[in-house]
Amino acid sequence: MLNFQENKLTQTIKDKAPLRPIESIPDLCLSCGTCSAGCPITGISGFDPRKIVRMVLEGSDQELIDSPLPWLCTMCGKCEHACPMGINIVNIIRTARGMVDRDKVPGMIHKGVELDLETGNNLGLPAEDFKFIIEDVAGELAETPGFEDFQVPFDKQGANLLHTLHNKLVNTQNEDLVHWWKIFYKAKEDWTIPSVNWEGVNWGLFSGDDDAMKVFVGRIVDHMERLEIKNLMYPE
Amino acid sequence: MATRFGLQKWFPDFFDRFGAFTVFDLLVDYIKSGRIQVDKTKITGRIAYHDPCNYGRKSEELFGHGFFDEPRWVLDQCVSDWVDLNPNRANQYCCGGGGGTLLTPYKNERLTYGLKKIQQIRRSGAGMIVLPCHSCHSQIRTLLAENGMTEIAVKYLWELVADILVID
Repeated sequence: MLNFQENKLTQTIKDKAPLRPIESIPDLCLSCGTCSAGCPITGISGFDPRKIVRMVLEGSDQELIDSPLPWLCTMCGKCEHACPMGINIVNIIRTARGMVDRDKVPGMIHKGVELDLETGNNLGLPAEDFKFIIEDVAGELAETPGFEDFQVPFDKQGANLLHTLHNKLVNTQNEDLVHWWKIFYKAKEDWTIPSVNWEGVNWGLFSGDDDAMKVFVGRIVDHMERLEIKNLMYPE
Repeated sequence: MATRFGLQKWFPDFFDRFGAFTVFDLLVDYIKSGRIQVDKTKITGRIAYHDPCNYGRKSEELFGHGFFDEPRWVLDQCVSDWVDLNPNRANQYCCGGGGGTLLTPYKNERLTYGLKKIQQIRRSGAGMIVLPCHSCHSQIRTLLAENGMTEIAVKYLWELVADILVID
């Protein structure tokens, strides 16, 4: 039972009616809908960032996790750029993604993460096949006027710059491998690419998987240390 | 962006031991220092530039600097007629393929998201879209094909530079 006397001594109006009852960040939400107005995909297949923030605020975590909503988002950040309260909506989405059972992650995202963990790239491409593709494309460039004797330096000790590759360039977009190679050649850059763990993209960002993400970033640190490279070219 | 974010979060001492450069840092440095030369007369026709969310709005939020001016400086060195899409910079529309959505089965949604981008591109009057992101490249190429606009080319910013390198 409420002890009026004691209550009077210990609780102020502010205690009873806090000006900002902040328990977690989404509690700051004013429900103004600016996020949804700013989001370019609001209304498509039921997507609505304000609704997502409200779900989190109300504790409907499981409903959100079981829905396709976290995966419909492109994480473009326009919602939180517009939010007057600075709520980190993209992080809410990514956190929800990370709480989904890994076998329920739609499409290729988690499969790519698993392959990268196992093989060092999202394609699961063996090292000898990787080297063959790279040397094949490099050989063609070396026959192009202006790029005579071009070679791709694998695992060069003490190089100035570490270059990694987006898996799609090694897969279906081989013709896009040469652009940076041409620039490096003309700039006389002292660069190198790793012959293993060469993957430049980090799908742990998309799948909400911090453990995997850390492994992939750690591999880049490992290349830099092992090969004593001076500078990293950010993969993306 | 993922790598930079991860290095800051889990390997903060990396930055005491190594240098780290974005694609923009390298392009600007190579051109400014004269290590590469580009021929501005090689490309005619109008180009439009698309800001990827990760290098723009999200880098601004995560790292305190959005890469808005650097690619525009590179374009100034490379071509005489380039325009911005509208809206642009921090208010740029996502291509519709970000956040891993290119890897999900939600293709219809992705194509619908991209209609805003198609509208921006049509209004720009450009014959080529230049951008510095692999996801945006795949998505915008698909969008143009799906909307019967394959006469518009899509190039990476570094591809544009590589294509007009002065070769002695």
